[in-house]
Amino acid sequence: MSELLVVEDLTVTFPTTRGPVDVVKDVSFTVGRDETVGIVGESGSGKSMTSLAIMGLLPRGATTRGSIRLDGTEVLGASARELRRLRGDRMSMIFQDPLSSLNPYYTVGLQIEELYRAHRGGSRAAAREVVTGALRQVGLPDPERRARHYPHQFSGGQRQRIMIAMALVCSPSLLIADEPTTALDVTVQAQILRLLADLRGQSGMGMVFITHDLAVISSIATRVLVMRRGEQVEYGTAEQVFAEPRHDYTRMLLDSIPRIDDPLDEVSA
Amino acid sequence: MARYLAGRAAGVVLILFLVCLFTFVIFFTLSPDPAVMICGKTCTPERIDQIRDVLGLDEPFLAQFFGFLAGIFAGRDYGAGANLVHCAAPCLGYSFQTNQSVWDMVVERLPVSATVAVGAAVLWLFLGIVAGLLSAVKEGTWWDRAAMGLALGGSSVPNYVLALALQYVLVVQLQVLPFPQAVAFSDGPALWFQSYLMPWLVLATGYACLYARLTRANVIDTLAENFMRTARSKGLSPALTMRRHALRPALTPIATIFGMDFAALLGGALITETVFGLNGVGKMAADSIAKNDQPVIMAVTLLAAFFVVIGNVVVDLVYTRLDPRVRITAR
Repeated sequence: MSELLVVEDLTVTFPTTRGPVDVVKDVSFTVGRDETVGIVGESGSGKSMTSLAIMGLLPRGATTRGSIRLDGTEVLGASARELRRLRGDRMSMIFQDPLSSLNPYYTVGLQIEELYRAHRGGSRAAAREVVTGALRQVGLPDPERRARHYPHQFSGGQRQRIMIAMALVCSPSLLIADEPTTALDVTVQAQILRLLADLRGQSGMGMVFITHDLAVISSIATRVLVMRRGEQVEYGTAEQVFAEPRHDYTRMLLDSIPRIDDPLDEVSA
Repeated sequence: MARYLAGRAAGVVLILFLVCLFTFVIFFTLSPDPAVMICGKTCTPERIDQIRDVLGLDEPFLAQFFGFLAGIFAGRDYGAGANLVHCAAPCLGYSFQTNQSVWDMVVERLPVSATVAVGAAVLWLFLGIVAGLLSAVKEGTWWDRAAMGLALGGSSVPNYVLALALQYVLVVQLQVLPFPQAVAFSDGPALWFQSYLMPWLVLATGYACLYARLTRANVIDTLAENFMRTARSKGLSPALTMRRHALRPALTPIATIFGMDFAALLGGALITETVFGLNGVGKMAADSIAKNDQPVIMAVTLLAAFFVVIGNVVVDLVYTRLDPRVRITAR
């Protein structure tokens, strides 16, 4: 399996009033084509910063060391122009909260269309055809009419479907999904997960799936990276990490998954 | 939509009616006898009685009030017989001071106030939004700090201080502008522009400073929105990201505030017009209050209320076009 994304010794540093702080420290992992890699960790573990670094979307002031290569192209240190060409076209990202991630002032159709036209050009009419197709692909009923609606007119699950349609409209080779199901109802979560897995399978793209939920990771990822306080504490195949975790932290995370066959414990703390 | 508009129109009428009523009550109970004021220095009791009779001041409160209201819509007659004076609708009465028809005074002065308001609005919108935008984009830089410091200072300077300072510098010292006077556009565009330039600048300064700070705050908030991160993650050009995704959400609330501010100004810029001696509605208000000219005060109060209330409705209607999340539903 040839590697699509290679992250080597990635360090992200933020300046603070008390000196620079490394929010991501020496993280290395790879994502193959046609593969899903899960990044797991609690809030503040640096998983989102890792994904923003890949997209070149780190907040102002952040500095990076190491290397991130997408299909052999170095992302760190790429010019703003090169990054713009990659973003949305070769790599895309979907976020935790689809409502706030869509601009409330514009129809969802326009928001997908502008991405497509930024990379592929062409007429609005042609782009609209593509948008309809993309919305149909993610299972949105009546896509032609719905493209003319605004984000607030959709349910949470539909909005995430729209975000997915947008992310995939240029058929990128890498999709980064940052907690895409966290803000959704449990039943909708399952639908979105299945949709992501299906679409990834059909297109053969690589996916980085970020979550704090190990149960979700086990169902979707082939490789898992566990992060804590900016550091990589465990990295291996999903079977490896789940069957024989090498690190105490991973074991703790695994133990924290509630099971239906768990003996009832007194609630502590 | 039709139901909504009907409801709003009813609200407008009710508010204007109440404004009328309250103003009338205040004058009826608090003001000195208008007949004595009109009569002047050489006055006889007979003359006062005559004036009372002509103006209907002996009538009960409600009769006087509805007489005033009827005058607005249907016109009214003052006096009787040989002394009869017909005041055609819309009749707002006659000034106690000059005996001029109040409606004619309003019609004559409104264009001056409108000119002041429109010119100032163009200036402050342009300056305020451009300065605020630059500050937001360059947040934390020396430009941002200097502009916002200036904006804070500028919004703290009273209009009349600024007006006098500006006159002193531009008219007296540098002599680049003539002494301000009301000049009609037909007297020559250049002269017209020169005569209104200082009022525009003075009136615009406070608003421009306020709008710069508002714009800056709104743009900074918008730039931190999740949908801005999405826009960047899509690989859109910075220009498109800014123009389409940041500006519209950031400027929509400003449109609302602008509507209200502008509407209020159509009712007269009292201080600016007075300082520059412009015969607008604002100066008319100041003069009438100083001389307790009741019909004129009634008229300027109603006029200001009218513009504010109508401005409110217009802003609400425009907002539904600006923000797709806001839709009109009849209550």
